[in-house]
Amino acid sequence: MSSADIQLRDVRKVYYKDRIEIPVLEQLNLHIGEGEFVALMGPSGSGKSTLLHLIGGLDGPTAGSVRVGSARLEQMTERELTSWRSRHVGFIFQMYHLVPVLTAAQNIELPLLLFKMSASQRRERVTTVLSVVGLADRMNHRPNQLSGGQEQRVAIARAIVTDPDIILADEPTGDLDAKTSEEILTLLNLLNSEFGKTILVVTHDPRAAAHAKRTLHLDKGKLDREETNGLRESAVSDS
Amino acid sequence: MLMQNLRRNPLRSALTAVAFALPMAVFVAAISFVVALDRMAKANEKALRLGVHHKTSFTNLLPQGMRRKIEALDPDRRRLTAVCGMRWFGGRVPNTPNDVHSMAADVDSFPAMYSEIKLSPEVTAAWERERRAALVGAELAEEYRWKLGDRMVLESIIPPYPRLEFIVIKIMTESRETRSFYFRRDYLEESLASARDGNPAGVHIFWVKCASAGALHSLQKDIDALFANTPDETKSEDENSFVANFTQALGDIPGLMQAMALVVVFIVAMVAGNTMMMSFRERIRELAVFKAIGFQSGRVFFIVLAESVMLALIGSLIGIAPTALLLTLTPARLRSMGPMDALEISPLAVVISLLIALLVGIGAGFWPAYQAMRLRTVDALRRIA
Repeated sequence: MSSADIQLRDVRKVYYKDRIEIPVLEQLNLHIGEGEFVALMGPSGSGKSTLLHLIGGLDGPTAGSVRVGSARLEQMTERELTSWRSRHVGFIFQMYHLVPVLTAAQNIELPLLLFKMSASQRRERVTTVLSVVGLADRMNHRPNQLSGGQEQRVAIARAIVTDPDIILADEPTGDLDAKTSEEILTLLNLLNSEFGKTILVVTHDPRAAAHAKRTLHLDKGKLDREETNGLRESAVSDS
Repeated sequence: MLMQNLRRNPLRSALTAVAFALPMAVFVAAISFVVALDRMAKANEKALRLGVHHKTSFTNLLPQGMRRKIEALDPDRRRLTAVCGMRWFGGRVPNTPNDVHSMAADVDSFPAMYSEIKLSPEVTAAWERERRAALVGAELAEEYRWKLGDRMVLESIIPPYPRLEFIVIKIMTESRETRSFYFRRDYLEESLASARDGNPAGVHIFWVKCASAGALHSLQKDIDALFANTPDETKSEDENSFVANFTQALGDIPGLMQAMALVVVFIVAMVAGNTMMMSFRERIRELAVFKAIGFQSGRVFFIVLAESVMLALIGSLIGIAPTALLLTLTPARLRSMGPMDALEISPLAVVISLLIALLVGIGAGFWPAYQAMRLRTVDALRRIA
């Protein structure tokens, strides 16, 4: 199994609120191969973000197994998961969540502070990813000096600066206009096609899903159907 | 990143820094005062001087003849080495409102009594030769532009308000004496004799130089016993206790200072704690993202705590530095404290203040840091979304 292969088996996730059990994911079986670009769609409350969190090691399943590469996430402690995330996962959020008092370069550099690297090595990496996202001339700008699209590019740069195996994006174009959304999705495509990153995007936007090679539809915590390159397939069986 | 985070909300950071700065300025001055009192007390202990004054009040005169009786308690000079009668002159420079801490002293025993002033043989000879001789503190001399050999006049505020001329024979640079003025008591008594009109010759206090701390305690009992049940009953006390009479006239100053300092620290801690909690609440999403990208909980704890400590230290330095500079360049003179030393900034006070600031920073930042450490990333991210 490659380091970016994602496998979920019989995954169940339940939350408890005031002792009331709230099931979010039910008997979920899923495989995402290395280098795939997959979109995850579904109505609100269908469990999309929860699935993303499970794959990203931010949360653990109530039952079942979550395997990413050789790592069995449900068996790892919080400390191990945090360390694993820093090496293997890049996150992109809807609202970018950049640190407002840091420059673009400093924001991108943040994940690198977790590794034993010299300042010059970190600077070199940051410069490289800024070029990839097309913001080399904005490195010393603070977030409030950037447009929404530019901020999201910085967030993408931050997500890829550690060269993670997988990139998890939660509504990356949710706050952007159509033109800027297209630019962001094109960039994600580039990361997938040129750099071989495995990408999972949670989205409500069909245009975003159209960029993905495969779209998974969740409903009420279950995988409802799957589409490949726009072709609709039959409802997914739980096998 | 820590410094940049303080610039996140510059106004709030500035106001919190000021909230630290002002109380810490007061705190460092208060602790300096307590340290100055302690330093003076230690110096007094070293000087081994016993003050003998009237039991009713140190403003009542004691007959000068009592000196011989005190000296007779130890003819072999094993316990006491000198006795010096001193009388308060209450001098004032004419046409000024400023009092001068001026004392008339027995000419023969003053040099031995105040050996720390270190009178050279020439100055001692001048003291003995010139009845108008005056020993003037360096600060006093600077204030009135008096130099060696200058003549000046002081007038007393005590009836019959004698007005005397003096000649400066020494400028005293010892730290405790920089605002003192000593002259010969026989010169004062001569002037009072001509205008005596019932004024007795006498002293306000006999200072007894003791050979040891043990001798001081035993002489204290013996002298008071000697004059018990006489019209001139005495109260003998060591120099620290005597000085304390002045400071305690205003209440328990050191105790008040320390209590005030603690209250100040407590208030600052509350303000800082509130600020840090507000800052934490604003940064929940950011801290959740830190954890999401791989920052361990312990590191997140440290980031939040370090910010609090930095704010506390910066604010404190803003308060301590100007206070230290001000008191170093213009040491405060506590005129109403009697023979109290000047209030100067104490390095110990600065260190204590910074340590207190560090502790306040840790105390104020601990709870938000702990909350940050325990923050469930998923819940916080869900809140963000």
